[in-house]
Amino acid sequence: MAEPILVVDNLTKNFGGLAAVSEVSFQVHPKEIVGLIGPNGAGKTTLFNVISGYFAPSRGKILFQGKNISGKPPYVLAGRGIGRTFQVVKPFPGLSVLENVVIASFLRHPKRARAEEHAWKVLEFTELADKAHQSAASLTLAGRKRLEIGKALALDPTFLLLDEVVAGLNPTEVDHTIDLILKLRDRGITILIVEHIMRVIMRISDRLVVLNFGQKIAEGPPGEVARDPGVVEAYLGGGEA
Amino acid sequence: MKDRRLLGYLFVFAATLLVPAVVHDTFLLRVFTEAVMWIGLAVTFDVLAGYTGYLNFGHSAFFGIGAYTTAILMVRAGWHFAPAAVLGGAAAGIGALIAGFPTLRLRGAYFAIATWALARAIQQLVLIMDVTGGPDGMRLPAFLSPRFFYYVMLGLVGITFFAYWFLLERAPFGLKLKAVREDEQGAKALGLNPTKLKMQAFILSAVPTGIIGGVFAYWVTFIDPASTLGDLVSDQALVMVVFGGMGTLVGPVVGAILIFAFKTAFWAYLSDYEVLYIIILGAVIAGSVVFLPNGVLGVLPQRGRRNGPSPEEKGPGAVLPETEGGNSHG
Repeated sequence: MAEPILVVDNLTKNFGGLAAVSEVSFQVHPKEIVGLIGPNGAGKTTLFNVISGYFAPSRGKILFQGKNISGKPPYVLAGRGIGRTFQVVKPFPGLSVLENVVIASFLRHPKRARAEEHAWKVLEFTELADKAHQSAASLTLAGRKRLEIGKALALDPTFLLLDEVVAGLNPTEVDHTIDLILKLRDRGITILIVEHIMRVIMRISDRLVVLNFGQKIAEGPPGEVARDPGVVEAYLGGGEA
Repeated sequence: MKDRRLLGYLFVFAATLLVPAVVHDTFLLRVFTEAVMWIGLAVTFDVLAGYTGYLNFGHSAFFGIGAYTTAILMVRAGWHFAPAAVLGGAAAGIGALIAGFPTLRLRGAYFAIATWALARAIQQLVLIMDVTGGPDGMRLPAFLSPRFFYYVMLGLVGITFFAYWFLLERAPFGLKLKAVREDEQGAKALGLNPTKLKMQAFILSAVPTGIIGGVFAYWVTFIDPASTLGDLVSDQALVMVVFGGMGTLVGPVVGAILIFAFKTAFWAYLSDYEVLYIIILGAVIAGSVVFLPNGVLGVLPQRGRRNGPSPEEKGPGAVLPETEGGNSHG
């Protein structure tokens, strides 16, 4: 197998006395889609924030393309090829959809005209081109989630962290977004995705990593993980369902 | 479309070059010079307030630092005016660099309070120092040429305006600043370094303000802590920007002209009621925030896309084609 693109090695993130993520290790290989699942509060978003540079790890390290990136700020990681979306979408509401994507395009295309050209391509790809001149605030939730993906995509990332890009969408929009994610993979982008909707995560993931109370409790192909007694207990046994 | 705007700006600028040819009255030319100065202070204030989202209540500090640096170099060191004023701008820029490190981490009201406090601290410092003349202020060598100062002020503010136009409306820098204004955390994920961008904006705002302060000092020939470092400089710039339209280049220009015209008329006829002026300023800002969230510019029909909040939200008037002349003249 090829060199892993991302290595999470014994990663711990403490907030005060609370270990939100505790000694988690896993790897992601190029062109894989890896699903990160777990009950609410399992530490998925914290793990995302550490990998994308928003939090520095308390212990352990993260290697991206063989280089240690632990504690590097998000804007440096964006330059290295890591794109991310936010669970609570972060469009720039006062700016147009096009401007939102142009800003992300500046990373690879510092000239404004080239950045706009690039942004239009991204908008075509994410099917937002007809809304380009609307303000980002006027988009529907589905539109805002697509814009979120579009902005991450405009960075020309090699690795994409998707945080609940499907949650809150209706079934048609869900299928639409799944198609979009699969298209990204076909473009050669490696994806780590957090998602609560099992139908989605089971369908698109090559492998799953399961977290509970900040610890990794299972890892493997979706079919296998779904039958894992520890995972079933985490989801059903804790009184959560 | 953008080039048509630029042509409009250049046309207005060219027209202002002719003012001294028409206006021979010295007092009136002074009024025009001061109007241009306030346009400069409002536009520089808006780089931070409108584009970056930081209300700088210490704007007067940059103005004062520029004025005092120029005065000290000219009076105590015998420098020529031009290099002294340039160094005044540099000193303001260095001031921004130093003040920016702690304050630009703060947001909203905290930043406003911190910058206000810093400006007060500088004012107190100037009051107790010998080199600044303390509360007695400083008297500069008099150069009595109203035309000279009109053109210097106009040239300075004109260069600032067109440099800003290029950087904020044309180059990627303006959009990047707006991204930081809208969502700092989100901007980081897109490869932007908010601290660096904010610092650049702060310096970009401070340097011309310092030079304007230097020109002001030489022009009025006498400066003291109250006239150059007082609250009124920051407060008036803020009112002009909010009233005219924050986050645009033309808004502060329009706001500065309207507020300054009002101020001049007020001092001419109602100077006995000084307190009233402050009250009116306060009322104008409160009224603008409530009734004119996008300033006077916001109520003019235009293709709002470029100026932030979408036209869709403003009802049918917004779909009318924009009127170029209306923007330029206010």
